[in-house]
Amino acid sequence: MTEGLVIEDLHTGTGGTRSILSGVSLSVNPGEFVALVGGSGCGKTMTAMSILQLLPPHVHVQSGSIRLGSQELATADEGVLNSVRGGGIGMLYQQPKRMFNPRKTIASHLKEPLKRHCGLQGKAADAKVLELLAEVGFDEPRLGAQAKAHQLSGGMAQRAMTALALAGAPDILLADEPTSSLDKMLEVQVLQLLDRERRERGLGILYITHNIRTVAQFADKVLVMEEGTIVESGPAQEVLNYPRSPYTKRLLEAASLAPEGNRGPRQGQPVPESRVPERGVQERREVLTLERVSKDFRTKRRASKRGNRPALSDISLRLGQGEILGVLGQSGSGKSTLARSIIGLENIDSGRISLNLQHAALQDVRRQDAGLQDAGRAVQHSPVQLVFQEPHDSFDPRMRLRTSLEAPLLRRKDLTKDERSARILQAIEEVGLDPGLLDRLPGQCSGGQLQRLTIARALLLEPSILICDEATSALDALTQRLVLNLLLRLHRDKGLSLVLISHDMDVIRYMSDRVAVLFKGRLVEVAETGEFFTRPQHEHSQALVSAALPVCELLSRTVRPQTTARLFPAEAT
Amino acid sequence: MISFIARRTAALVVAVLLASIAVFMVPYVTPGDPVRKIIRSRVAGDVVDASSIQALSDSLGLQDPLPVQYLRWLGRFCTGDMGLSHISRTPVVEQVMPALAVTVSLVILALGAAALISLPLGITAALREGRRTDKIITTITQSFIAMPEYWLAPLLVLVFALRLAVLPSAGWTGPASMVLPVATLALRPISYFTSAARSGMIDALAADHVNAARSRGLSYPQAVLRHVVPNGLLPLTTLFAVWFAGLLGGSVIVEVIFAVPGMGRLLYDAVLNSDIPLAQGGVVVVVALAVVVTTAADFVHQLLNPRLGGRLG
Repeated sequence: MTEGLVIEDLHTGTGGTRSILSGVSLSVNPGEFVALVGGSGCGKTMTAMSILQLLPPHVHVQSGSIRLGSQELATADEGVLNSVRGGGIGMLYQQPKRMFNPRKTIASHLKEPLKRHCGLQGKAADAKVLELLAEVGFDEPRLGAQAKAHQLSGGMAQRAMTALALAGAPDILLADEPTSSLDKMLEVQVLQLLDRERRERGLGILYITHNIRTVAQFADKVLVMEEGTIVESGPAQEVLNYPRSPYTKRLLEAASLAPEGNRGPRQGQPVPESRVPERGVQERREVLTLERVSKDFRTKRRASKRGNRPALSDISLRLGQGEILGVLGQSGSGKSTLARSIIGLENIDSGRISLNLQHAALQDVRRQDAGLQDAGRAVQHSPVQLVFQEPHDSFDPRMRLRTSLEAPLLRRKDLTKDERSARILQAIEEVGLDPGLLDRLPGQCSGGQLQRLTIARALLLEPSILICDEATSALDALTQRLVLNLLLRLHRDKGLSLVLISHDMDVIRYMSDRVAVLFKGRLVEVAETGEFFTRPQHEHSQALVSAALPVCELLSRTVRPQTTARLFPAEAT
Repeated sequence: MISFIARRTAALVVAVLLASIAVFMVPYVTPGDPVRKIIRSRVAGDVVDASSIQALSDSLGLQDPLPVQYLRWLGRFCTGDMGLSHISRTPVVEQVMPALAVTVSLVILALGAAALISLPLGITAALREGRRTDKIITTITQSFIAMPEYWLAPLLVLVFALRLAVLPSAGWTGPASMVLPVATLALRPISYFTSAARSGMIDALAADHVNAARSRGLSYPQAVLRHVVPNGLLPLTTLFAVWFAGLLGGSVIVEVIFAVPGMGRLLYDAVLNSDIPLAQGGVVVVVALAVVVTTAADFVHQLLNPRLGGRLG
């Protein structure tokens, strides 16, 4: 007998003045896919944790009702809660690998709920473990069962965690951003898996996400959460097509980095002289050239092992003046190695990376023949700068931001202290931040603010080329859009050439003039963006493009099974 | 994996050989005639006249180049022939081995006691992090670091042997006589182990997978027992091994004060009496044992590393 989850007027808080959730009401029926959408820090995760009563210390459910079937959970004792956790309600987390005990095998994890909720032990449990793993898509369940989390890929770990959440045969599944750390193709696979469970066993799913796009295709109902309250709810089609609250509109807008609207901020702007409207690559002067660049991290002994390959092999690529080049690839395709090689953080094994800038003759040519790299590091005024993925990791946590920003300028001996501060202020204004932020520590800023500060820091040295390595992947959809538009503006105003490295198809499509696809360390395709998204040539590119359906296409479809079948013919058979 | 073992074993052999070279050189670099010292360690009777010294020197190969002499010395050493003690005139090996047994049991008892006391304390402190229990445990165990053996040992003798007269103050004759030396030696490991157990547990408690385990229906105690305690404490095995090696040398003071007939005391006496063969044999044995234990700890550390999936690699 499957039971639904009903939450009425839930208040969760620290007991003091701060309330985290105020008056949340929602329901998840068996077989229903409910999406809970909101920006970071809006209380989505706290809703899930309130349901399971696994809140952080000092945070408590203050009032309201949480019912699973007829069972009240808000006031239940630990014994009841422990049988509900995993038994009545399963939980899927973000970052699956961190949710497994690194010292224990997948099988040993799976046996916990099997014993606790199904009373299975010994041989019966062993058999059930294999059955569950096969169900979630392990080709070789036996190997999967013996593996430890770190031996699995991100996608497989998320599948293993799905098996773990389903092991206790729950009626309701809480999924807290289960796909945010996965790339597009894996994300779709996990969603399909959840959707199948929903159809086949009537699992009710509460799917928590910051990206409204993710769930557009699967959700029956969408709830939009802002600052601990649900600001909008309704059937998915209705909310997505006719949003009422301004917050939902903003979320949708941020999520639709769709091709239709993408050139919006750039159209209607006077085209700088360096940007010719007909932007053939040949007409542009090349500013960065990579010739047959290879990098191999393997030691000689390991090179023969199966499945191993060089990080980069034989990459040749050109970046035109004022061009935005999107580099697309899944995790492990060599994207970051490429970025690090270009700015000289990584020594390349063979090939050549050269710059061709107007002032290059005066300053320095950052060139990397193997062994000649130190010349590049001595450049005072660096023409190539890198923006890293994780903004919190790219600042010294104990250093005031002003000090962090000043650090690269200290090498410019010709600048006085006043000139340095003036430059910092100018850079801060360029990225649209309040100079007051400069006196804070990195921990006191949001991810979006910090990411804009990393861009400001990169701009201080007046680069001609900016390399963004997954620069917006750690940000939520609203912030992501903000940062992307900032990059577009800088590109337009300063004539910056950008290399944009991402696994996110939408970002690439939104931003790039040309797309380069990295696959297993090789460059498999380079094409104009429009061309690429309509007629991808390489097999891998085709898979990528088909996995990344724009939201508008999804919205125009009302019948889910059709969509699913059309998108994933292999899965349907 | 094999290469790791091979590299470590090679390093072990090199360390012991280097130590043995230093030890072999002792008769040559200490004051006095090395030939006489060496003859005294090889021949039971007294040899005084110059002609017999010359004859013995020839027959023992003392005119050969040093490397040759070293290899010969090492060969004898490896077969258990460590020469004769200058003082007692009996084979060194007969004194070293019983003393080694005493010291090893003293160290093992002290480490065992320290583990039995400190692990529960560390776990409790971690589970009560920041509260009064934690503060009391941390303060008391940390204060043990500041109590040196040479201060604590006489204090314990004063209280338990003289004032209360419940425990013997010296010797190594039965369980009662072991209490005070073991207690003295265990004190500092207790404070280090407690603090390591506490921080290991705090890290393990904060891991995301613990909360995930609770969302599968494990109660808090179950989650802690299954997922926190093993993860938090396994890294301590390396610490135990390091302390084992450390206490082998550190037991000297305790053995001297409590008159425990162990290696520490043996070496102490040997040095005081300039009993070169005895000191040589003792030092090489202690060094070899310490290096072996530390290397074993490295292997264990590798085995416990989850990234290597329990393989040596």
